[in-house]
Amino acid sequence: MDQEKLIQKWLLEELSEKEGAAFDALEDASFYRGIIKDAERFKASNFSKVDDFETFKKQVILTDPKVKKLEWFRPMLRIASVAVLLFGIYYVFMLNQPTTVETLVAQKKTIELPDASKVVLNALSEVNYDEEQWNTKREITLEGEAFFDVAKGAKFDVITPKGTVSVLGTEFNVKQRGTFFEVACFEGTVRVVTNGHTEILEVGDNLTVFNGEVIAGKNSFNEPQWTKNSSYFQRTPLLEVFAELERQYGLTLTFDHVNTDQLFTGGFVHGNLEAALMAISAPLDLDYEILKANEVRFSKRE
Amino acid sequence: MKKNLHEGICDETLFANVYNRYAQSLHDFLYYKYGEKLNPGDKAQDAFAKLWENCKKVTLEKAKSFLYTVANNLMLNEVKHQKVVLKYQSEPQKDYNNENPEFLLEKEQYFKKYQEALAKLSEEQRTAFMLNKVEGKKHEEIAQLLGVTRKVVEYRIYSAFDQLKGELENFKIK
Repeated sequence: MDQEKLIQKWLLEELSEKEGAAFDALEDASFYRGIIKDAERFKASNFSKVDDFETFKKQVILTDPKVKKLEWFRPMLRIASVAVLLFGIYYVFMLNQPTTVETLVAQKKTIELPDASKVVLNALSEVNYDEEQWNTKREITLEGEAFFDVAKGAKFDVITPKGTVSVLGTEFNVKQRGTFFEVACFEGTVRVVTNGHTEILEVGDNLTVFNGEVIAGKNSFNEPQWTKNSSYFQRTPLLEVFAELERQYGLTLTFDHVNTDQLFTGGFVHGNLEAALMAISAPLDLDYEILKANEVRFSKRE
Repeated sequence: MKKNLHEGICDETLFANVYNRYAQSLHDFLYYKYGEKLNPGDKAQDAFAKLWENCKKVTLEKAKSFLYTVANNLMLNEVKHQKVVLKYQSEPQKDYNNENPEFLLEKEQYFKKYQEALAKLSEEQRTAFMLNKVEGKKHEEIAQLLGVTRKVVEYRIYSAFDQLKGELENFKIK
């Protein structure tokens, strides 16, 4: 048996008795044994030992910050997921809400609808529409007064408490204030349904409903004057004229011996109170008096 | 009542047993493989800390391989071409006390050389050799620890010895 084989077997501690003797007979046998024996000097436990369990316990198990962290993590996850859920619900809920636009006293607003139709809102008015559903259902509810420039397309409905106005693509003005309801058509054709009464308006026609009385008329201008910052009335009850004045200037009006049922034809500008008061009072033979900042009293001229 | 052994090792007595059984040999393993500079003691302890964190998930049977894998990974994270150094006992043992100074000097040089030779071994050779010849572990056990076959372990021990033998040739006792 050659020497290498013998050394291998010796290393594996597989020498038979006879082979053992042969190994001992090797010239370097004691050198080899020395190498193995001296490896002992490098024994790990001579130089460092691990801490005993008690020490480990003190350092790790009893302080144990990481485990506490984990216990924190789960409730945090729960809170986070609830927050995400709530946010999601809120978001979905908000998406399904119709869009609402409203104006304050003396304020006007122009809205672009999803199909490029245009709505101009007069003072103290409100419209609601569903932006998501707009492509399938062009429907807008109105309280107050607004001018519509409708893009061509499917039926376009303006729903007010007093009646519904349906069009196919046109320009028209709808005014509903209390019991006063007025529709004026400036382009195309408009169908007005009010109190079971249906009326088709052509270009230049207008329709006024006041106290159950339906009056048809012709427009004096080819667009509503309020979008040009003045108000214009045709045979309109004085009460409604004054109500519009209150809306445009944020006023409180009081009357002294004034017949508010008489009809008024004429207009007033927005943004100049003196001029507006004059324009109304002069033709009706009335006096006005500015009491406080926002209070005006009309009285019959002596 | 004692907990079912298959349901983790969160019981403190059980964990203490595991600790006492494996801590030192885990440390030795790391020491031989990566040398003393990388704090094998700390890494062994970190591995046990990880085991404690995960005590619910690790069964008693899996604990040992969990420890070795985690400790080895911890080490690998830190190894950056560090030169492996194993310490040796420089104090001559008692049986050499009566020897003459020349012999002691020669012995000292011999161990220096031995240390360098160990550093030159590949970690595989060194680990297998030291675990077997110094710690007295069986080939089979080392094979399991290292995740290789028994034959490979035997080859590593032999090749380690062969290399040491070559390096220390000059210190043959005449």
